[in-house]
Amino acid sequence: MNHDALVAVARAVFEAAGGSPIDPDYVLPADIPLELSGEAVRARLCVFTDNRGAEMAMRPDLTLPVAQREAARLEGGALPKTYTYAARAFRLPAAADDPFEFTQVGLERFGYGADPGADAELFALVHRAVEACGVQPKAIVTGDLAIFPAFIDALCLPVVTTDLLKRAFRQEGGVRAVLDEAARPLDADVLKALDAAEPEAALGDILAARDMPLVGARSLAEIVEGLRARRAAIEAGGLPDGARAALLALRDVDCPLTQAPETLNALAKARGLTGADAALDAFAARVGKIMALVPGARRTAEFRAGFGRRFTYYDGFVFEVLAEGLSPSQPVAAGGRYDGLISGLSSGRVAATGIGGVVRPDRMIRVRRAGA
Amino acid sequence: MSRLTIAIPSKGRLKEQTEDWLVSLGHPLRQIGGERGYTAEIEGLDAEVRLLSAREIAQGLIEGSLHFGVTGEDLLNDLAPDGADDFRVVKRLGFGGADVVVAVPQAWFDVDSMADLEAAGAAFRKAHGRRLRVATKYLRLTRRFFAQKSVGEYRLVESAGATEAAPSTGTADVIVDITTTGATLKANGLKVLRDGVILESEAAFTQSARAEFGPVAKAAADALVGAFARSDHNF
Repeated sequence: MNHDALVAVARAVFEAAGGSPIDPDYVLPADIPLELSGEAVRARLCVFTDNRGAEMAMRPDLTLPVAQREAARLEGGALPKTYTYAARAFRLPAAADDPFEFTQVGLERFGYGADPGADAELFALVHRAVEACGVQPKAIVTGDLAIFPAFIDALCLPVVTTDLLKRAFRQEGGVRAVLDEAARPLDADVLKALDAAEPEAALGDILAARDMPLVGARSLAEIVEGLRARRAAIEAGGLPDGARAALLALRDVDCPLTQAPETLNALAKARGLTGADAALDAFAARVGKIMALVPGARRTAEFRAGFGRRFTYYDGFVFEVLAEGLSPSQPVAAGGRYDGLISGLSSGRVAATGIGGVVRPDRMIRVRRAGA
Repeated sequence: MSRLTIAIPSKGRLKEQTEDWLVSLGHPLRQIGGERGYTAEIEGLDAEVRLLSAREIAQGLIEGSLHFGVTGEDLLNDLAPDGADDFRVVKRLGFGGADVVVAVPQAWFDVDSMADLEAAGAAFRKAHGRRLRVATKYLRLTRRFFAQKSVGEYRLVESAGATEAAPSTGTADVIVDITTTGATLKANGLKVLRDGVILESEAAFTQSARAEFGPVAKAAADALVGAFARSDHNF
């Protein structure tokens, strides 16, 4: 089978699951991926400047423009739908043998349900599309971006620490940088200003006395808020050793997917983190359903607690399918849940659950050639 | 490019100090076409010498259109797509020193570290519906450093010059720029974060990792390396 034949085969698998064909805009304002995901995505984004100087980007995947169109449709009062596509996407190559543009064949489901069954169903569908293209998965890496936040919440830390840890988990540096940053003391007179009748005015006085201008877009009120949050963290005494140990242990979980529920439960139990039970129950239910639908995953699927944390808009189940002959950074298929994406794209005006997956025929061609 | 090609900064302090350094090696620079020419010779060396801006030199070394060059480590590290694998610093020259730093308004009493900046950025996005802006000429260096420090709540604004003025003119809230004494930052109401030193940069005699060395270029390169060995400069 050549590239186009693989596209047709994969497309037929996704279309059999229902959904409307879609080929949305190729060009997006660069603000959409950059404000949504931050500067980290810029490294792979094909960006150019239009004649008015505005930064535009070629679509880096189909999920983003499909979700953007869906958000606009929902704002008009329509009901969420399922879409299928076989369409071009554009990324700056990460490896020498990566192309600039490639076809993704996939499916995006909005408002479909956010339960373990929906996750497993999508996983099985993508798995079937890969097999239909004549490629046997060598390994399937999975993660769950809801587990780490659930553990952090269960630790009952001050809000400022909780927020910082959750965000740090999604960054390249990970939580280590935050964990290593102890609660550092604040200037005595700045602390005193916080207790003044009008803290903003008191802070303004300190600025005037020290001859410091207030530059930038943050207001005195925002600085006061930031100081209050830091004081709360200092009073809480930084990150307790037990919490630190729990998060570092979670970070290092890397095991076959079949063993992951037991491993995570044991970890939570050992640390007394009953608050994570709901997330762990959902996780265990998903693993059970995946194994029932795709028995082969018993052998190939693994779980890594830190996996997918850099996939910016995903917020639940995530997975990548690897095949013989390609590097771990070149999956032949991938997918995941992004329940917050529609809300993020519409500035909270509408919301809908979302889950999607894609296969890469261009990479599967390489796997098939290498195997032949 | 069969001959050895070396680039030297075309103007300013960096050029003067590079010339002094070449004299100390016993290979003084002689500009062709007088002070305004853009080619030169290095006495006693079979090499084509180009006078270029520090940025062009860094770019040329990374692309492989130059064999050797004198330029700032700040530019080399920023322009190299794969970081330090794209060039080889043969010798740090002890001049042209400057730190690339992350600086925020002094008035931000709640922000002393990169972790604090991330917290402030998240609160800012909630309050303003957009990300904190970071003005800089060092786009890659900034992106890599912020990622390493787990800071993601920001947007880069490419700065064409006078980066330190960006917060007071309202084009950005935070800057990443070079500083030697910190006086300019201070005069603009800015402070360096305690873990915000990205790079301690100086001028460096640098070899391209990509340029091809033919026999002629190789012979001249060996002569140059020999001059290093004979001089007091260790490398």
